[in-house]
Amino acid sequence: MSDPDELLRIEGIRKTFPGVVALDGVDFALRRGEVHVLLGENGAGKSTLIKMLSGAHTPDAGRILVDGEEVRIDGAHDSERLGIATIHQEFNLVPDLSVAENIYLGRQPRRFGMVDRKRMEADAGDLLARVGVDVSPRTPVRELGIARMQMVEIAKALSHDTRVLVMDEPTAVLTTGEVEKLFAIVRQLRADGVGVVFITHHLEEIAALGDRVTVIRDGRTVGQVPASTGEDDLVRLMVGRSIEQQYPRERGDAGAALLTVEGLTRDGVFHDVGFEVRAGEVVGIAGLVGAGRTEVARAVFGADPYDSGSVRAGGASVRRHDVNAAMAAGIGLVPEDRKGQGLVLDASVQDNLGLVTLRGATRAGLVDLRRQREAAERIAGRLGVRMAGLGQQVRTLSGGNQQKVVIGKWLLADARVLILDEPTRGIDVGAKVEIYQLINELTAAGAAVLMISSDLPEVLGMSDRVLVMAHGRIAGELPAGEATQDAVMALAVSNPLTTETEATRGQ
Amino acid sequence: MASDTIRSSAGAGGAAGLRRLLLDNGALTALIVLVIALSALSGDFLTTDNLLNIGVQAAVTAILAFGVTFVIVAAGIDLSVGSVAALSATVLAWSATDAGVPVALAVVLAVATGTVCGVVNGFLVSYGKLPPFIATLAMLSVARGLSLVVSQGSPIALPESVSHLGDTLGGWLPVPVLVMAVMGLITAFVLGRTYIGRSMYAIGGNEEASRLSGLRVKKQKIAIYALSGLFAAAAGIVLASRLSSAQPQAAQGYELDAIAAVVIGGASLAGGTGKASGTLIGALILAVLRNGLNLLSVSAFWQQVVIGVVIALAVLLDTVRRRAGATPVGAGGGGGRSRRAGTYLLAAVVAVAVVGATSLLHGGSSTAAQRKIGLSLSTLNNPFFVQIRAGAEAEARERGVDLTVTDAQNDASRQANQLQNFTSEGLASIVVNPVDSDAAGPAVRAANEAGIPVVGVDRGVNKAETAALVASDNVEGGVLGARALAERLGGRGTIVVLQGQAGTSASRERGAGFAEGLKAYPGITVVARQPADFDRTKGLDVMSNLLQAHPGIDGVFAENDEMALGAIRALGTKAGTLVQVVGFDGTPDGLQAVADGTLYASVAQQPRELGRIAVENALRAADGGKLSATVKVPVKVVTKENAAGFGG
Repeated sequence: MSDPDELLRIEGIRKTFPGVVALDGVDFALRRGEVHVLLGENGAGKSTLIKMLSGAHTPDAGRILVDGEEVRIDGAHDSERLGIATIHQEFNLVPDLSVAENIYLGRQPRRFGMVDRKRMEADAGDLLARVGVDVSPRTPVRELGIARMQMVEIAKALSHDTRVLVMDEPTAVLTTGEVEKLFAIVRQLRADGVGVVFITHHLEEIAALGDRVTVIRDGRTVGQVPASTGEDDLVRLMVGRSIEQQYPRERGDAGAALLTVEGLTRDGVFHDVGFEVRAGEVVGIAGLVGAGRTEVARAVFGADPYDSGSVRAGGASVRRHDVNAAMAAGIGLVPEDRKGQGLVLDASVQDNLGLVTLRGATRAGLVDLRRQREAAERIAGRLGVRMAGLGQQVRTLSGGNQQKVVIGKWLLADARVLILDEPTRGIDVGAKVEIYQLINELTAAGAAVLMISSDLPEVLGMSDRVLVMAHGRIAGELPAGEATQDAVMALAVSNPLTTETEATRGQ
Repeated sequence: MASDTIRSSAGAGGAAGLRRLLLDNGALTALIVLVIALSALSGDFLTTDNLLNIGVQAAVTAILAFGVTFVIVAAGIDLSVGSVAALSATVLAWSATDAGVPVALAVVLAVATGTVCGVVNGFLVSYGKLPPFIATLAMLSVARGLSLVVSQGSPIALPESVSHLGDTLGGWLPVPVLVMAVMGLITAFVLGRTYIGRSMYAIGGNEEASRLSGLRVKKQKIAIYALSGLFAAAAGIVLASRLSSAQPQAAQGYELDAIAAVVIGGASLAGGTGKASGTLIGALILAVLRNGLNLLSVSAFWQQVVIGVVIALAVLLDTVRRRAGATPVGAGGGGGRSRRAGTYLLAAVVAVAVVGATSLLHGGSSTAAQRKIGLSLSTLNNPFFVQIRAGAEAEARERGVDLTVTDAQNDASRQANQLQNFTSEGLASIVVNPVDSDAAGPAVRAANEAGIPVVGVDRGVNKAETAALVASDNVEGGVLGARALAERLGGRGTIVVLQGQAGTSASRERGAGFAEGLKAYPGITVVARQPADFDRTKGLDVMSNLLQAHPGIDGVFAENDEMALGAIRALGTKAGTLVQVVGFDGTPDGLQAVADGTLYASVAQQPRELGRIAVENALRAADGGKLSATVKVPVKVVTKENAAGFGG
């Protein structure tokens, strides 16, 4: 408290929810002009902690001090008054309003009782320039990409005269180039004297951006270390044990092709995509966001239509745009948007696990609930889903456990070809390794896995072959041995049309 | 669901279990509070007969609501159930009588009709990608229209064998209650145990995730809406059999009652939650409330206010309860306790509000010595009936009897409920102004069986014994209206007729009388006949439309004054100068317009007289006095010349 540069101090915060102690004695301090990384596994309590700062939750015990004075944050209004702004993983933007309107939502400058559009757009323009994003204040937010939406969120935070900026996994949805840009802005803010609380799962970002690191485990602060601390030490602090191997891929012999995709095309989205995935094999798809990876995965699974090409699974051709045909052929999809597309959030763990097998467990219109329950129990045990019981709402599970449920429903359905779209996004290190182990088990049992990921080390560490997509085409294929970050990135930023012609000429 | 499990593992039997049941179920708490409050306020409430009445009165709403529960759980909405019920009932009655199909087959046809409507809804939603609100709103209109087409606008009496469905089993268990219970069990079973039921929760919770998990969402939706349509058909059959007649205008607005019941029962309009038991409780709350307010003689106008307030409070109670369940109870439990106290407080406020409101609005607190009679009016949304009420109330005051007035809001089934409530209250006699003469039959028969004399006013009751009918002669009035208009036009010209609500006896009789009267004037041509539902606004709209097609008309005959006044607005300065308007009823507004010269004439009834004479006859009947079967109250054509002398 003697430190005059200290903006924010949290002492002995405790918070319980029915059946769970979320926080149990967390200490944290933030100085003016520093980037303080909050590190911890999912479910460690980071989200609960920042919700205390944004006023969504109030602590059961402990103190929050701002500028050395104890404060009570009872809602968004209080946190705004104290100069605390939070950028959540899910953005608080209204898609159909313009950028300027979003920045000044609810407090638009007024003139004669009417919104002063001119002034609002001019002010918004200044803020956008400050965060270095080149977009007209009049653009509807819907038309922006995810990275720009994030910049709008930051501009919105700055418009509040923010002194403390909390960012919850801001890099999870960004591509490498975008991350660099974000870092530049955060550094600028730091130079301006803003205190930044930065949550990330990417350990390499800590050294690049952070000043100090506070590690939280099981609702307690377990240490505060400088950002220069080695990754191994950070991981040990975070999970309470050392992780032997971050990517424990066990490669076996590939068998027959289980999934064959040929000439798959949807005009303007992806073109002439062809590949095969063999039994016992993990094929990774790398590429920049927007390269068409997710679109291809959804088309293969029948969730969206395609214009030409073919998909064959286990030798038989799969009907176009028919999820059930894909499922019957043994294909399963773990979608990118876990909450929006993978889970029925308000339903129980049991109901979610049994969703794919619901029809199979039905006799004469009646669901065999006992069998469903037993199956769910078995698979939840096998995957180590941490929950209060099979009746728990999936919404209340941590990200890693939610993902296990999504994968679990396909395991119950005996999917032979599993398409994993960003399987570890927003998931902590410990749970990631568990999911990698699961992938190993699957391929060892003869299944084929197609994995899309923007996490380059993950793709390189877990794939047997890496396909790189760029501009809706397969730009190249690299065997595990030759796949390096540089090689993948070179393909990802290439223009496959020109490379292709050059290659032809070369022959 | 999650918090339930956690808490139930910690819970311990008996009293604690009951408390938890109530806390977990806001609607049930509200129902119990209501029942206790009403039992305390009215001695007639907590009797077996009355409780069975409530069951019967809840049946139609509950069955509709069960169907809607499926749709709402799947994050849809079905606004068409009321109309579909009416259509199914009409198809049943029409095929069993006019088409001569065996009754069993007619029932199958009716159910098929409802199901097909549902399938169409589902198809529009699934494959037409219409928002459910719009698709079912369209069906609401289509089904209502078709039921009018099939029935030609008139109610169709049901054959005896179908009417038995509205009777009792073993002399005490009403069949509608039985049907409601069976449909409720089916609903619970479908939702809990079947593939389609589990799919509803998944689709309602997250449609995209369900699709990507292999649920055939589009086909499921068709099945879900089809189920809703099937339940609506069942409700329609129950409704028609209770009234012994299929009303093309039946069940108007019931879709909103059904949706309210589902939401009061704890379902979310966002989908993914909802239970059969909750829906049943929701329907019972509405029925208990209506029944209780009748028994307590709460003013018809205030009843609607009270019902709205209770619906809001019931859902509020549930929301508060849920929020209390979702946020921390843990550790010390201090926060939990204060929140729980909040729930109790809210429950207490609801109780006090209901008790306070009902006792406050309890019209003219009854002393035991006073005799009680009831007046069931078809509607109070029309000055004519307000006048009847005024005449009846004045007479009752003079005679020192306690008069309860109810408003059926032009809904035959609601009127049956109200008559049933009068009967179970054991009134000295009942005056009824039927919404529909056929449909009032069963309820009046029940009153006869209980030894309560019934006097009809304005409209008669078919297939039941009435001590007297006090009425103006509508047919005669129609003839007089035709004569007045034709004479004024000098026996030549083109005119349009604004008809009353399709299917009502007043409209039929006045129209018939008018046509009859017009035969004497071959120079008069009727260029259009269009319904404007006895409503002033509709009269204005319809007249404006007709003027586009027939700008040169000379006269308008409106089957009541309200429509005539609407037509006058549409005609503007033409009214009374270029175009002569004749109305019917002689309401104060109508008479004013006659005096002003915009309305040429009104065929005046004397509604205050009707009300006064009806009460007088009802009292005489209660004393066992002799009555003549029909008491005609004269009608009279009022024009500017005699308007001053006519008080209405």
